[in-house]
Amino acid sequence: MPNPIPSSLSQLTRAVRSRPRRGARPHVIYLAIGFPPAAKSSAYRLRETANQFCAIGWDVTVITICEEAWEREYGLDHTLSEGVDPRIKVVELPLMRADLETDIRNFSEARALRPREWIERQRKQELKVFPEPAFGGWRYALEKAVVREHRAHAADLLMTTCAPYVNLAATWQLWQEHRVPYVVDFRDGWSVDVISGETAFTEKSPAGQWEKRVLEQAQAVWCVNEPIARFYRDRYPVVADRVRVVRNGFDSDSIPSVPHRPDPAAGLTFGYLGSINFAPALLDSVLTAWRMARRTDPVLARSRFEVRGHIGAGALREANAHSELLGAAARDDVEFGGPVPKAEVVDVFGRWDALVLMLVGGQYVTSGKVYEYAASGLPVMSAHDVDHDAVNILSGHPLWTGAVGLDVERLATAFSEAARLALDATDADRAAARAHAERFARGALLAPAVTEAARLALGASAAGTPTITGPTGGRQLP
Amino acid sequence: MINVLIVAGTAPRQDSVLADALERFRREGVRVRLIVDFDLSRISLDPALAELRGLRETEPDDRLRRAMGGIEGSRAVWVRAWHDRVVRQWVHEADVLVSMDMMAVYAVWEMGHRRPDADACHGVGPAARAVQARLAGVPRPKRGLRDTVATRTGIVVRGTRRNATSRARRAMRIGMAPAVMRSGAGAWFWRTAVAAPALPDRIRTAVAYRVHQRTVEADRPQQAAAASAAAAARLEDPRARATLLNREASWELAIGHVPVCLREAVAAELAVADEMLRKKSTLKAAHAAHRAMKLLFHRVVHFEQPTSPLAENPAEFLAPLWDSATGRALAAAQGRAQAAATPPTDRPLHLLILTNGAGHPAGALRQRYDGRPDVHVRYVDLGEDVGDGPFRTDPAAQLGHLLAGSSEYGNRVREWLRPHLEWADIAVADRAEAAAAMTLVDPGDTRIVVCLPDFELLGPWPQLTDFSRVDELVLSSTDLLDLATTMLPRLRADQAPELSVVGDAPDLRAHQRPKDPAARYTLGLLGTNSVDARWAVEVLRRLRATDPRYRLFVGGDDLTPPPGASVRRYHEEILAELAELERSGAVTRVEQVADVPEALTGIGVILGSPVRETFHHAHIEGAASGATPILRNWPILSGTARGVRTLVPAEWVADTPEQAVRRILDLTATEQSWRDNGAAAAAEALATWGGDASGRQFDELLRIPLADPVG
Repeated sequence: MPNPIPSSLSQLTRAVRSRPRRGARPHVIYLAIGFPPAAKSSAYRLRETANQFCAIGWDVTVITICEEAWEREYGLDHTLSEGVDPRIKVVELPLMRADLETDIRNFSEARALRPREWIERQRKQELKVFPEPAFGGWRYALEKAVVREHRAHAADLLMTTCAPYVNLAATWQLWQEHRVPYVVDFRDGWSVDVISGETAFTEKSPAGQWEKRVLEQAQAVWCVNEPIARFYRDRYPVVADRVRVVRNGFDSDSIPSVPHRPDPAAGLTFGYLGSINFAPALLDSVLTAWRMARRTDPVLARSRFEVRGHIGAGALREANAHSELLGAAARDDVEFGGPVPKAEVVDVFGRWDALVLMLVGGQYVTSGKVYEYAASGLPVMSAHDVDHDAVNILSGHPLWTGAVGLDVERLATAFSEAARLALDATDADRAAARAHAERFARGALLAPAVTEAARLALGASAAGTPTITGPTGGRQLP
Repeated sequence: MINVLIVAGTAPRQDSVLADALERFRREGVRVRLIVDFDLSRISLDPALAELRGLRETEPDDRLRRAMGGIEGSRAVWVRAWHDRVVRQWVHEADVLVSMDMMAVYAVWEMGHRRPDADACHGVGPAARAVQARLAGVPRPKRGLRDTVATRTGIVVRGTRRNATSRARRAMRIGMAPAVMRSGAGAWFWRTAVAAPALPDRIRTAVAYRVHQRTVEADRPQQAAAASAAAAARLEDPRARATLLNREASWELAIGHVPVCLREAVAAELAVADEMLRKKSTLKAAHAAHRAMKLLFHRVVHFEQPTSPLAENPAEFLAPLWDSATGRALAAAQGRAQAAATPPTDRPLHLLILTNGAGHPAGALRQRYDGRPDVHVRYVDLGEDVGDGPFRTDPAAQLGHLLAGSSEYGNRVREWLRPHLEWADIAVADRAEAAAAMTLVDPGDTRIVVCLPDFELLGPWPQLTDFSRVDELVLSSTDLLDLATTMLPRLRADQAPELSVVGDAPDLRAHQRPKDPAARYTLGLLGTNSVDARWAVEVLRRLRATDPRYRLFVGGDDLTPPPGASVRRYHEEILAELAELERSGAVTRVEQVADVPEALTGIGVILGSPVRETFHHAHIEGAASGATPILRNWPILSGTARGVRTLVPAEWVADTPEQAVRRILDLTATEQSWRDNGAAAAAEALATWGGDASGRQFDELLRIPLADPVG
């Protein structure tokens, strides 16, 4: 339910509440579901953001969900936590996705009898709380958590990163109750369907009303690429000057200092590292192209293709159509090796000869892995749409095959081209490839945005009132 | 040793995932038992990996059948499993209980209540983790007395509730007795009940389905349609509407009826498909469209009735498909990047023949061109080994590919077909499934010829074929050609193929043998899979009423009942009828006719009584043997201008049994008249089909510059 308290009563309630305790240093509450040790691709960005606030002298409280929740999903990577600044306080909420439960003893009879219908009903219930399936039901727990943390240690800024978008409800609650300024790291956005490039929901829909209301009061809105930023500037002109592009970038500790030198006689090792969460048809196209290319290219015929990353969640973890495709491709020297802990990424890149960049979507998708791929100094073979934002990152990369779309015959040719690049590349070519990507170091990309967020927050706090337009009041949100 | 018990309610889609998991269990020294609630032939498993037990391998006894009455699928898995003594033993020995799919979750849930110390997981991944924990000696949560009592109480309560539900169901059955459903008050009551406002969707659909069944069983199809429409109109969720209407239609098809709400069910499924397509959820759109197509082109509707609504009025019947966004997307022309090249002159022509059946014309083309120095033939039968076993055409996957533009299925087809197309100058796809598969791939500069030799037009495949990639479409009669252009408006579009008619060409030389004089009174009916023996029996009975010397020889094994309730019924009735006539000596039945030319020496009148055909070989062979040909005007073409008369001389055709009897009596009145007529028919058959007419037509069509063909 939206805030049930009328505007004037709400203000009165706020006034009589005890004043939150303020610390000596500025404090950011970071609503970051997916923070390490969650084995999620977004964890790198979340970790760097928190670390940077710490580095500029802020106290940081991260609110995320419990480890058991990630065990249900993609699992845990404790090596990720090693890179988290020890001064950061992490609050784990006991929230879990019910749809990913695999212990049948926890099922009701109704769920056991009709599992799909039960999940659908559950989703409908969640949508009544907040318009986001699977996560909407977390709203009240998140709202309580941010308010509780603020009361315990007054926040100068709430950083909210989505997904899940239910974080917006907690952000709004803290704003409504305590006027804590906030920045939304929207990453891929909500109302833009980054896969199709179309609008996911209208402004008048419940989700649309939430998004509009929360973004209007944000100090800044971060997006991962220019097309998404443009979408939001067009959709909400009132926040246009506050929308920033904050790209993902690569972590330099994941990049080997010396790229692997191929051995043509032994064949090459192609690699893919990332979540395998795209449509099975894309994976199948790449595997089909690999098989076709091996029939005509003798180097590829004696080469291997190693696929690493997370496949499926819950009951389907490593037991879905992707697993079946990869299992069947074993006879073509395709090997699935499971996820790679962050600390071992550098070793994995260090023994590969070329990279296969499988991506969904088009101009609204950049991905995180493209930056690491670009910085690796290895040849990159693209397996994604021609009109894709990854192209903007890879254009000018000297060891890139170019984007040829998803036609299997063109992909087969691209495999041969990547093999040729791997064999012919000189040290100078590899150095040039690394140099091409230098501008995408994650720390450097995030730093200006974090600094600006800190400055905006402190400016807003110092002024005593937000620098942006006042709240629209306790009007009922959907 | 750790015992893992896996329950699968449906055939696993990921075979290798299961095999890998079982392999891992074996390496860990775990004993695995697998219970499956489907035909064991649908799973191939190394027996060393798991003990396997199929719940459907034995016929259910009366007690089980009663227990299964009207229960939903997931509960049925449990009931079948617990009824099995071996399964009960396995459950008691299990340490980890695993459901492989949604259908098996309830069975594992119930088993878990009866085996409190076991883990109960959904999915093989969680099961592997449970096994790991047990191997590592991770302590398991202790269950208190309270838990145990609650579990046991739950089992008793559920049993009591099920008994109460069964009683309620029985009471409802009485309230829906045929007499009640036939009465005006009863029909009104139930129609009103299913359309009552504020009824939850699940209750409404369950009751509406039963009302529909009972009303159809009470022989009130219009009332059933009205009740369905009333209930469906109250359902706001399009998926619930489609599910209800589809369930009703599928039930009617299963009992051999043309569903009263066929059109509504198809439209409802297509509405779901359109919605999914709009949301760019092409996989779900394809599933819904496939459900619609299964109803639209069901064999009960088109092949188990005297005629087909699709043949009678294609535009009206296909309107829901054509009017849908899904239908338009399926019909979208992809075209080809290059035009077909002219045949080479500096090397032999490469001719690819792709078929999903060894009949005509693929077989005839192979026979005609194979072994000639200037034509290299590559013959590929989809049903045979094309690499990794037979190629399985899949309408759902084909739909998914057409809607999404790419798919795993499309990749398979392309990977396999591309080398053939690169080799071929001309590719002939014989039959609709082969044609649909071939047009998934841009053929490059290969000339594509598609032959649709029979009533595959009434199936889904032509609707899933991209004719913009076809250069020439060949049908076997002008009536079929007319039907095709009406059913497939794409054949009149800009990128449409050339249309040709090439008749069939059986080998008639062996059939010209002297007739036994006694053959004059012997009618012959040589079977095809769509022959209507009842028509022939009707002719025989009428003839014998005039002259008891007439007999009927029925040859062929096609009277084996095919699937389909209505056809099964038909076969049971006709077999009984034939058996009675056989006992009186009026009919002779031979299951296998090893030597057809020899059999024809004893047949004086050859009958052809199919419901639908494109070319009734046995009848033409009979005519060529000198038997008097009498051919029923095939009901499927009887609505067209000339019907079967476009294929055979008009005087051979009888519109009714009466006409057939008159003609037989007339032509067999004397031995001379019978022999004269037989000779004329033989001459006509040989002149029309016995020569090389269709072969020459194919030479021309395929632009094979050969003047003197061999073979």
